[in-house]
Amino acid sequence: MDKLLEALKNKVDQAEIYRRRARTIPIEFRSGKLESLKSKETEGIALRVIAKGRLGFSTTTDVADPSVLSNAAIAAAAFGEEAGFSFSDDDPAPRDDVYDKEIADVSEEALVALGKNVIGKLRDADTQVDINLSLTKTIQTVAIKNTSGLNVEEERTHISLSAEIGKTSKGDIFVLFDEQEVRAMSELDPDRLVKHIVDFLRYGKKIVSVESKKLPVVFTPNGTIALLLPLMVGFNGKSVYMGTSPLKGRIGEMAFDPRFSLTDDGTVQHGPRSSAFDDEGTSSSRTRLVSQGTIEGFTYDLWTAALAKAAPTGNGYKGGLLGGGGFRTPPNIGVSNMLVSAGDADEKEIISSIKEGLLVESVLGLGQGNLASGEFSNNVAVAFKIEDGKIVGRVKNTMISGNSYELLKDNLIALGKDATWALGAVNTPAIAVGGVNVIGQ
Amino acid sequence: MKDQLRKAIAGSDADYTEIRIEQEARSQVLFRKDKLENIEGSNEQGGIVRALKDGGWGIAAFNDVSDLPAKVKEATRMARLVAASIDEPVGLANVAPTQQVAAAELARDFRSVPLEEKKKLAEEYNRILLDYDKRIVSTNTRYTDSFRTVTFANSEETFIVQEVPDITLLLVAVASDGSQNIQQGFESLGEAAGYEYVLNRQQEAHDAAKRAIDLLSAKSVSGGKYTVILDPSLAGVFIHEAFGHFCEADFLFKNEQLKKVMKLGSRFGNDDLNVVDDEYIPGLRGNVPFDDEGTPRGKTYLIKSGILNSVLHSRETAKKMGAAPTGNARAISYEYEPIVRMTNTYIEAGHQTMKQMLSEIDHGLYAVRAYGGQTMFEQFTFSAAYAYEIEHGELGEMLRDVVLTGNVFETLRSIDGIGDDLTMYGGSGGCGKGGQFPLPVTDGAPHIKIRNVTVGGK
Repeated sequence: MDKLLEALKNKVDQAEIYRRRARTIPIEFRSGKLESLKSKETEGIALRVIAKGRLGFSTTTDVADPSVLSNAAIAAAAFGEEAGFSFSDDDPAPRDDVYDKEIADVSEEALVALGKNVIGKLRDADTQVDINLSLTKTIQTVAIKNTSGLNVEEERTHISLSAEIGKTSKGDIFVLFDEQEVRAMSELDPDRLVKHIVDFLRYGKKIVSVESKKLPVVFTPNGTIALLLPLMVGFNGKSVYMGTSPLKGRIGEMAFDPRFSLTDDGTVQHGPRSSAFDDEGTSSSRTRLVSQGTIEGFTYDLWTAALAKAAPTGNGYKGGLLGGGGFRTPPNIGVSNMLVSAGDADEKEIISSIKEGLLVESVLGLGQGNLASGEFSNNVAVAFKIEDGKIVGRVKNTMISGNSYELLKDNLIALGKDATWALGAVNTPAIAVGGVNVIGQ
Repeated sequence: MKDQLRKAIAGSDADYTEIRIEQEARSQVLFRKDKLENIEGSNEQGGIVRALKDGGWGIAAFNDVSDLPAKVKEATRMARLVAASIDEPVGLANVAPTQQVAAAELARDFRSVPLEEKKKLAEEYNRILLDYDKRIVSTNTRYTDSFRTVTFANSEETFIVQEVPDITLLLVAVASDGSQNIQQGFESLGEAAGYEYVLNRQQEAHDAAKRAIDLLSAKSVSGGKYTVILDPSLAGVFIHEAFGHFCEADFLFKNEQLKKVMKLGSRFGNDDLNVVDDEYIPGLRGNVPFDDEGTPRGKTYLIKSGILNSVLHSRETAKKMGAAPTGNARAISYEYEPIVRMTNTYIEAGHQTMKQMLSEIDHGLYAVRAYGGQTMFEQFTFSAAYAYEIEHGELGEMLRDVVLTGNVFETLRSIDGIGDDLTMYGGSGGCGKGGQFPLPVTDGAPHIKIRNVTVGGK
């Protein structure tokens, strides 16, 4: 990296080298049986250059001879966009919660044993279910160097456990999914995952119907993604700058219920997506998006921050909205960890306060509504009917739709008091909103 | 390369060993609004070893291809760990060994087109989108090309080199009327073709922009049950997503209950319903003569005259289910092992004209293009990019927010009209399964008419 950067100094105005080396061990169980073990070792370099004020990008896996990379990035820059920003000269403080020696050291045998143990517990609860389980261990080193003097490297560990449980009976297939993504072995809680699935299996035994009407809906932490996805898009600084976010120009406005606060926080201890710096080397930070109902800010990478005359928030990630781009794509604005403020209601109390409504744990077709306008429109995957404060059974072939901005402003019923991690990116309590369009059978 | 692969395989002590090495050259031009967000030329190399030892699979994927014998050892070590904890060893159905080189034939090879020319082309389309109307607030114009050379060798003496070209163009216009009403129109194109494929697409750019503007004033559909005509693009996505994935044998082969649901010979639709996975059609996205296990691709009738006829197999699922491999083991890249995937999936043409089908509907919907969608087992949900009312056999007003949902088996049985106008769509996205996304696939169908579809609206 040093040699490449040195060689580039004479050819371009600015250069930024990103290197990612990763070792991943995915372990797959299908129908309760170990299917395969895999060892994946990948390494790639991405180069961004600004030459004559213009931006070019290239990536390669040829770490021994990056001359092709350097020529390709410079060639691209000849026709690139005017950059109007500089690569990061930040000096992020090292973190001690992103690497866990126990994850790094855990053997494949131990992970296989863990997987079998979880499958055994699920089987104990119900012998009739089909179980697909994945365990993935990841150790990765991300290093970024640039001509602004940035020189950072971080070793990160992750372990994820996910289970998909299917119960097939005549004319019905009931599928439940839960996952945990943690940064330390000690934070993995397989018993919680098992309990979560077993509880819902019990609720779901009976199938009930729901009529089409407007109803209150309690989104479990996993279910909140339906409601929060439009916000992830709307608080993205690029959507705001482009004018495709309805939040444009509304900083300071009371646009949500005063009980609702939302934060993008790349610094939260052991957060699934926490790191010392983003994929441009900007220090991770805590950005208040909504504070007690009032819009306070948006998330930015370096380029969009310069365009919008805002400060970068450490949200420059490779890949899409939720990252995962490896070394391949140029940085763009993504979510770090999204935190929803907890309320004071017990999830059980919320349910018992509802005369007629739904409890939604997961939906199909995320993102298929008009996200930009804040709308969601989904088929429920796992949802239950609430009658007179009690869960009476599972509903099928039912759609829910609404506008997240409207629901979280005028129709918020309650926020649960226990926030938990869901989907490896969001920390949220259950959220209950009224007036959701329900289309039943 | 051939000698290196041969040598590494010869040194393996696994029962079956395969190595796949891939080189890729790709470029991308991406405009968002008036900014050139990315311009890129990149290259990549990597490989994967799969070893079967005592009936257990072990896999090693890597970028560093300099020491293949070490990777074979690592995969075999993994395979031994698996073998130690399984009660049913994996077997592979026979495939005749072959030695083949399948070179791509491109009218105009995109690798020799200067990046500047690609940028100018994307810029022209982006300009058409932006200039269409002042209410167009943003765009997403993305050109991509990729040329992969995939070399496959296994311990059964098969050696195949296949060139896999792919070129895509995505044109998205986002319109806003200044309030919270934000709409988009898009065109999504992809083929295993040369640069000529993306030329002269001005009309598509114009159509995408017009649709975004038209949608601003379109009515929201009211939720309920409708008789629906799906256009070929949406019907193709439906048959791929809602039904095709059910036919992938790796999803069924270890699940006794699901195997019963997908019993060959069961009736799934009316006599005139035929569904095909047609595996090698030169020019369509991702099409090459062999799959990633070296099995030649063929043509598989999934549904023939309404009856479930076959499912799609890898060598492993074919062995287990006593069938012949169908050539559907595919991987998106060297980072992944092949899993059972579709290729070109379509509903065969029927005999009805669009006009006949329309005339049979008193009150219904005509849903066009898929904007998104997801399936979970029997449940599916798709959103149409846009739709039209059907009143007394005539197309009426444009509608938006049309989301279709249902149970795939009931829906297949409710198809009561199949058009004579089969059309195939590649698109610029791809199919996702088991963490492998995007796999280039092509879907198709004629116009189809379905009774009693649940439509979600506002």
